[in-house]
Amino acid sequence: MGGVVRMLTVSFLLAFALPTLPAETPEEAAFRTDVAPLIATYCVKCHGADKPKAGLNLVKDADAASALRSRKAWGLVREAIETGTMPPDGKPKPPQAQADKAVAWLEAQLSKVDCKLQTDPGRVTLRRLNRAEYRNTVRDLVGVDYQPTEDFPSDDVGYGFDNIGDVLTLPPLLMERYLAAAEDISAKAIADDNPPRPMVKHITLDEKSGGAEYSKRFGRILASEGQVQVGFPFPLDGEYTIHLRAFGQQAGPEPVKMAIKLDDKVLKAFDVKSVESNVGSFDARVRVSKGTHLVSAAFLNDFYNAGEADPKRRDRNLVVLSMEVIGPLPVDGGKLPESHRKIVFKKPKGYGDTETWRAILHRLASRAYRRPATAEDVTRLLRLVELAKQDGERWEVGLRLAIQGILVSPHFLFRVELDRSSPGASQRIDDYELASRLSYFLWSSMPDDELFEAARTGGLRSPGTLEAQVARMLKNPRSRALTRNFAGQWLQIRKLRDVTPDKDLFPKFDPPLRDAMRRETELYFEEIVREDRSILDFLDSDFTYVNDRLAKHYGIAGGSGKDFRRVTLTDGRRGGLLTQASILTVTSNPTRTSPVKRGKWVLEQLLGTPPPPPPPNVPELQESKEALSGTLRQRMEQHRSNPSCASCHAKMDPLGFGLENFDAIGAWREKDGANAIDTSGVLPGGQTFDGPKGLRTILMGKRTEFTKCLTSKLLTYAIGRGLEDSDQCVVDRISESVAASGYRFSRLVIEIVMCDPFQKRRGKGGEPS
Amino acid sequence: MTTPISRRTALRGLGAAVALPWLEAMASSRALAAGATSAPTRMAFFYVPNGVHMADWTPTAEGSDFALPAILKPLEPFKEDLLVFTGLAQENGEAGPDGAGDHARALSTFLTGARPRKTDGADIRVGVSVDQVAAEKVGKATRFASIELGTERGAQAGNCDSGYSCAYSSNISWRSETTPMAKEVNPRLVFERLFANNQAGSYDASQAKRDRYRKSILDFVADDASQLQRRLGANDRRKVDEYLTAVREIEGRLVRVEKKTEVHPDFAIPSGIPEDFREHIRLMGDMIVLAFQTDLTRIATFMYANEASGKSYPFLGVPEGHHDLSHHGNDKAKFEKIKTINTFHIEQFAYVIGKLKAIKEGDGSILDHAMVVYGSGISDGNRHNHDDLPVLMLGKGGGPIRTGRHLKFTGKTPLNNLYLSLLERMGAGVPNLGDSTGPLKGLTG
Repeated sequence: MGGVVRMLTVSFLLAFALPTLPAETPEEAAFRTDVAPLIATYCVKCHGADKPKAGLNLVKDADAASALRSRKAWGLVREAIETGTMPPDGKPKPPQAQADKAVAWLEAQLSKVDCKLQTDPGRVTLRRLNRAEYRNTVRDLVGVDYQPTEDFPSDDVGYGFDNIGDVLTLPPLLMERYLAAAEDISAKAIADDNPPRPMVKHITLDEKSGGAEYSKRFGRILASEGQVQVGFPFPLDGEYTIHLRAFGQQAGPEPVKMAIKLDDKVLKAFDVKSVESNVGSFDARVRVSKGTHLVSAAFLNDFYNAGEADPKRRDRNLVVLSMEVIGPLPVDGGKLPESHRKIVFKKPKGYGDTETWRAILHRLASRAYRRPATAEDVTRLLRLVELAKQDGERWEVGLRLAIQGILVSPHFLFRVELDRSSPGASQRIDDYELASRLSYFLWSSMPDDELFEAARTGGLRSPGTLEAQVARMLKNPRSRALTRNFAGQWLQIRKLRDVTPDKDLFPKFDPPLRDAMRRETELYFEEIVREDRSILDFLDSDFTYVNDRLAKHYGIAGGSGKDFRRVTLTDGRRGGLLTQASILTVTSNPTRTSPVKRGKWVLEQLLGTPPPPPPPNVPELQESKEALSGTLRQRMEQHRSNPSCASCHAKMDPLGFGLENFDAIGAWREKDGANAIDTSGVLPGGQTFDGPKGLRTILMGKRTEFTKCLTSKLLTYAIGRGLEDSDQCVVDRISESVAASGYRFSRLVIEIVMCDPFQKRRGKGGEPS
Repeated sequence: MTTPISRRTALRGLGAAVALPWLEAMASSRALAAGATSAPTRMAFFYVPNGVHMADWTPTAEGSDFALPAILKPLEPFKEDLLVFTGLAQENGEAGPDGAGDHARALSTFLTGARPRKTDGADIRVGVSVDQVAAEKVGKATRFASIELGTERGAQAGNCDSGYSCAYSSNISWRSETTPMAKEVNPRLVFERLFANNQAGSYDASQAKRDRYRKSILDFVADDASQLQRRLGANDRRKVDEYLTAVREIEGRLVRVEKKTEVHPDFAIPSGIPEDFREHIRLMGDMIVLAFQTDLTRIATFMYANEASGKSYPFLGVPEGHHDLSHHGNDKAKFEKIKTINTFHIEQFAYVIGKLKAIKEGDGSILDHAMVVYGSGISDGNRHNHDDLPVLMLGKGGGPIRTGRHLKFTGKTPLNNLYLSLLERMGAGVPNLGDSTGPLKGLTG
């Protein structure tokens, strides 16, 4: 066994000793001196040609050129050496200096791509509409804001975003939701001209409804805050009145307060001044979709004072005597919803009016499928209409069925892009597909009439048109989708919803502050988009947005109530994204700041140089004071004395320490507990800085890395797939152009829209079948 | 105030439903109609993230005479129904050639025993999970082949674990190698899904009509999909395959519903996601109990939280994030807190088990006819090891499984061997699953 290994090692070394080419490139020479000896000494015993462990044979890549052809494998080698996971414990390890050299070579070379060779535009996998896109598209298609998309199963995330074709799957649960949603949406979109007479239905209240029995035969009493709640099956979509008879047992300074609620949403709140001898009536009107909903009457202001002289005024209670549901009520003055009028742009004269039916369905299906509907598409939809006819249903029912068919069709749910030219060749996507790529990129929704028209006339790609469209689309309020969906994920402020700072340590953190944090970052991003500012403002600037709550959190004077206002920052503490409370909070632990997470965030989200993940089985930072002592910083520095941690933490931690003046919810602090804060840092390479201002200067100096990072993120989001090596050249080219244009945001968007990965796709030959 | 009220009502409802013995409630229903002479076998899997504090989990003694360690104490009333497994492993959870990403691998291997492909998106792939193997084979007997529940939605942004797509950290159930089964986290939606609008009255003409229309819509879109599929490349075709599979699943369900009497649980509709985490878990547990009791499904999975969840438990005096804590660095104070979380999870599990045991069915309880597995794909949260996994099971699966024991295994016995045996009991036997090497020895005594 030993002999075999030794022989392998020798042959491996021989491969380097006898270069086949007389003139060796500098890369090959560096590989031979900096990488090969380490591999030969420490790796090939296990990762040789004979039964290589984990299937990783390092002997076959004997020179730089062949190593660079197996990028993925050598990427793992780099990670393993850098993090010290390989060689495994118990085997001899290379000296740190030798490991560093090898890592440096691999890091530099593996990211190099020969741009002259790259022409592959890539190929995105069929993209299903994600939740946000589905909701927006339904809104723009039929004019119905369908909120229950919140209840769809969440879309999985890949490459940091939830619009990645490969990761958007369609389990049966989601198909069920689509089917039910289509029924709801079609019912909301299309009204009946003459709904049936309203009926009155009495709801039985019993022990399952909540509260306690009031009298022997009827009524429920709520003696403490709570509610009487019943699931009521609404027979049809439409408007209903919820009618209550109730009174209060009055006590204390104010009358009994009650709310009528539907599905736990307050419809109307009342002061119930009535008493048992004079029972009151209470109505709330609401539009409801067919099916069971929770109807409830809630008691809002319990009161008890045993010391009250009048025994009848000691205890405040609510008594609900009866509940009725009346409806569906006639539509006001025969007024039909706008969605109805938009879809039924010409009213069919009954089922037989095929010409009108075809026109209605053709227009709707063309918009829904985001390309002209074929005659066959329309004929098949007509068959769904026909079903309702056979059942003797009114024509609106037939139209609703056709709408349901459209909303569940794969042509609607997927963004279909077809192959047109010969297999394998790269091809331009057609103008309708391009219009959809544009609208889903900037609006997370379907194209509007103007984009469709440009696609129809074939003018979308004529000179200047795409630029003009991009400018128009960014000005449209729909571009806020870019903030919610792109910025929300790039900056990870979507995670604010799930953070739980320790209530004892951070009593000031509450939902209004959480919302204000998110809103600040959104408004900041929106201004850069709307005003077409420099993307470097993301790194540093002298303005931000605050409302009262956030101003107080930041120590900024002046008030504006709940509304946000733009403020100029003067104290040098804050500026740019990184010092916003939203980001400082999502990168903290519940009980303390995490300089590591903050540093990692900067490396990943701003500089595009994510550190490798920590090797398993390394003890994390000790919280117990006995084990390690001193400030958080001192303890972390002791921890970093472990060499396998040091190389990565040397990149992350200083960036995070620079932000230590901000606590775990982003408030300014001069001390961490009793300890003074040291915000100075030394970056790998020796660059020094101090505090958030110094950190911003450092980041501004890395504007090239930042521009490439933002380009990569926005391109990933735009094309819905992870970037390949071949996309690296596109990213470089776009970044240069953006820099040359003074870093305008619109330039970045336009360059993405014009680039090959956005305009083209590889033919289907280039993938495994 | 909303939550506790509906919660209390819910409990009362469940209590009332308990009064109906299985045979009476189901007298005209599927199981008997299908000629079944005994109660159906059910399987459920409960998953906890970030490993557990093994020192207070693993019983010292082997066999039937063993004491329950601290974390398992809440299961004391069910000790005779309990099997604790020590020494089972998911070797595909180990780093191998794939480097970091133990949390993503822990969850995606737990029910599959297969190695997940390391990718942030392109070509996500692992293996079919045990529950879905069973669902495929015996799921047609019930309205829902299986249900997938949890408490945390999938990640909303960012990277979940070291180059693995978030799909791997938030889905435990995989229908095919490439399609995870999304989970439902809102008890109200679960309830509505299970019992639709059948709170009152029976399956009536208007529902029949709605289902007939649904079937026509599904036919229509299935045609669309088949035509579209012919014009697509391989990756795109796979997406449309997923679509068609989902359509067929629902079509099948519509056919099945026609044949049966509807069930109407005496249970108040949950009003949404309770703010109290304990209530949330218990309400989801109630849903599983109800679904089993009414025989709407026989297969369920439940995730207490996503893998690597950073959830904090301030109401237990643990304001730190679970994942951060699980990297305890052998700090005793952290051990205590991890133990607190672990015990809390087991308490909620005991609640569900109590319900299942309380419902009489045939000559025993639902629990007697069920196999309820509980565990994590990580053993020690700090070491990220995937051997010596914390795994236990309650119930005899209606058969000869001999419970009330602590079984020890050596040599990294695949956890999937247990699953192989469970599938056999479900009447869904397969020759192998993931990295299984054969049925688990010693299960029947």
